[in-house]
Amino acid sequence: MISPVFAVGELDGLFRWLNELLVSIGLPQPWQDVIMYAALSATVFGLLALIALFLVWWERKIAAHIQQRFGPMRVGWHGWYQTVMDALKLLQKEDIRVATRDKVVFFWAPVICFVAAFSAYVCMPFGRGLIVADLNIGILYIMAVTTFTVISLLMAGWGSNNKYALLGGMRSAAQVISYEVPMVVSLLAVILYVGSLSMVDIVESQSGWFNWFIFRVPFGPIAFVTYTVAAIAEANRTPFDIPEAEQELVAGYNVEYSGMKFAMFFLAEFINMFTVSAIAATVFLGGWNGPWLPSWVWFMGKTLSMVFLLMLVRWTYPRLRVDQLMEFAWKFLVPVTFANLILAGILKYLGYWE
Amino acid sequence: MDLISHIKNLLLGLGIAGKHLGRHAITIQYPEQRYDIPEGSRGIVVLLSDKETGELNCTACELCMRACPTAAIRIDSHRDENKRKVLDQFIVDNALCCFCGLCEEACNFSALKMATKYEFSTLDKDDLTWDVKKLQEVGLDVDYVDTRKKKKPKPAKPVSDKQASTEPAAPAKDNTETAAEEKPPVADETVADKPADTATEAADTPVAEPQPQPATDVTTPTEPTEEKPPPSPEAPTETPVEKAIPKTEDKKEGDQTDASA
Repeated sequence: MISPVFAVGELDGLFRWLNELLVSIGLPQPWQDVIMYAALSATVFGLLALIALFLVWWERKIAAHIQQRFGPMRVGWHGWYQTVMDALKLLQKEDIRVATRDKVVFFWAPVICFVAAFSAYVCMPFGRGLIVADLNIGILYIMAVTTFTVISLLMAGWGSNNKYALLGGMRSAAQVISYEVPMVVSLLAVILYVGSLSMVDIVESQSGWFNWFIFRVPFGPIAFVTYTVAAIAEANRTPFDIPEAEQELVAGYNVEYSGMKFAMFFLAEFINMFTVSAIAATVFLGGWNGPWLPSWVWFMGKTLSMVFLLMLVRWTYPRLRVDQLMEFAWKFLVPVTFANLILAGILKYLGYWE
Repeated sequence: MDLISHIKNLLLGLGIAGKHLGRHAITIQYPEQRYDIPEGSRGIVVLLSDKETGELNCTACELCMRACPTAAIRIDSHRDENKRKVLDQFIVDNALCCFCGLCEEACNFSALKMATKYEFSTLDKDDLTWDVKKLQEVGLDVDYVDTRKKKKPKPAKPVSDKQASTEPAAPAKDNTETAAEEKPPVADETVADKPADTATEAADTPVAEPQPQPATDVTTPTEPTEEKPPPSPEAPTETPVEKAIPKTEDKKEGDQTDASA
């Protein structure tokens, strides 16, 4: 019964098969839903854990090769399961808890960070039909949930009772909130044009040859660039990584964290990077749309290309100062994105490129 | 316009990073790949063995031991029944060695060399002290120019044979041995750490009258080969000695100036 999955070429056959199985057993409807969603969550969670581990390895490799090194080479072929071993090491490490910590806040900060990073994938369309729940407020939900990361970073900074951590947390709050505005507004231009917040609707409105928003409409490239810049800041990556600027704050908000809790922050960071790339791929690059290949291959290819761009940017540019960062956000990105939004509104009203 | 040039520069930076991403790494994977150290660089001290006989070139003259600024070299020797020095132990403490190369410079017999080897990490500090066996073993595959060998053909030549005729007939090999024996006493007097030895030496030298002559012979091998062909029977016995001393001094001074520069 599993074989149809691969015959169809789309992974959603697996879940259809599971659903049919549950119906044939004769479970009551609520239990069917619970089991289905549990299976979906487990699948997405496992996939994302794998992706996060892969991204850590990939980032190290790209960083190394840009600096003409090898990077991890020892554990497996070109160190391919290096990060798996690192994660196992972090799992069994001692969980050091500072005596002066704020107990509740210190404990919950990594949990919130982790959950916020993963819960964005509830309505992330991995492929045609490969979506856990097609919420009609999909992208709004994603933006709302990923912003919880700010709270968790601030909590981590506060709960650690450490000046570096607190500074990192404060900086993170200031930065992420500032860049949230241009990020959402540049997405809004596309949403305005589509007329729906649902991720599936956004993707399906881009079906067709070169019908992606980055090519189709004149405001597309501008929105894409402003979104990418804001997304890098949102993911706390290097040109905008002042929350964890190693040279200024030892490690930023996660100085006092170790073992499993640190691993949660670390993985959440990479999941966030994947999230912003996936949103860019969905909204601007046509999501799963593409010829010949299965839809999820297109989605992963586009998303990983965005991740690659983010990594290249990270290992190319130096870090901005705090004031430069704020100036760039409020004096440049916000006006540009709002002008872009107005342009999109006018084009929509005049009825071009519908 | 400013904005456009800034964006151009940012893209240029990305392009350069991408270009480097495509290049091959310049680092090497150490245990699998090793960097070939250029010939002439100073690595671990090794003892060299004779290319034919396989015996150590070392004559236990202790010049290297005296030259060593950090006292990393220790030589134990005794005299056999022919009053020749026999090497018992040659110990190099690699933990003390500063890789200055003065021992190699001081050696007149191609007996030790700073090889182009550099791997001697251990888990125990005591393992860094290498004895004569280990040093010889490490030095077996080290290539070297045998300056000592130039002396060997010399006794075979008719010119040197005339000189040698004054002393009791001795095989060529013995010549090298006596050379080794002759050197230390001079140094011993200055150090005077072995009063008993020097006393016996003083007692010995008058008895063995012919020996001072080979001593001049011995200094010649350190000289370049040019010295060998011209010598007339009488003159060379005097001049090489005089030349040899200033030359070595010059050499050292030159080295020091090089180092300071």
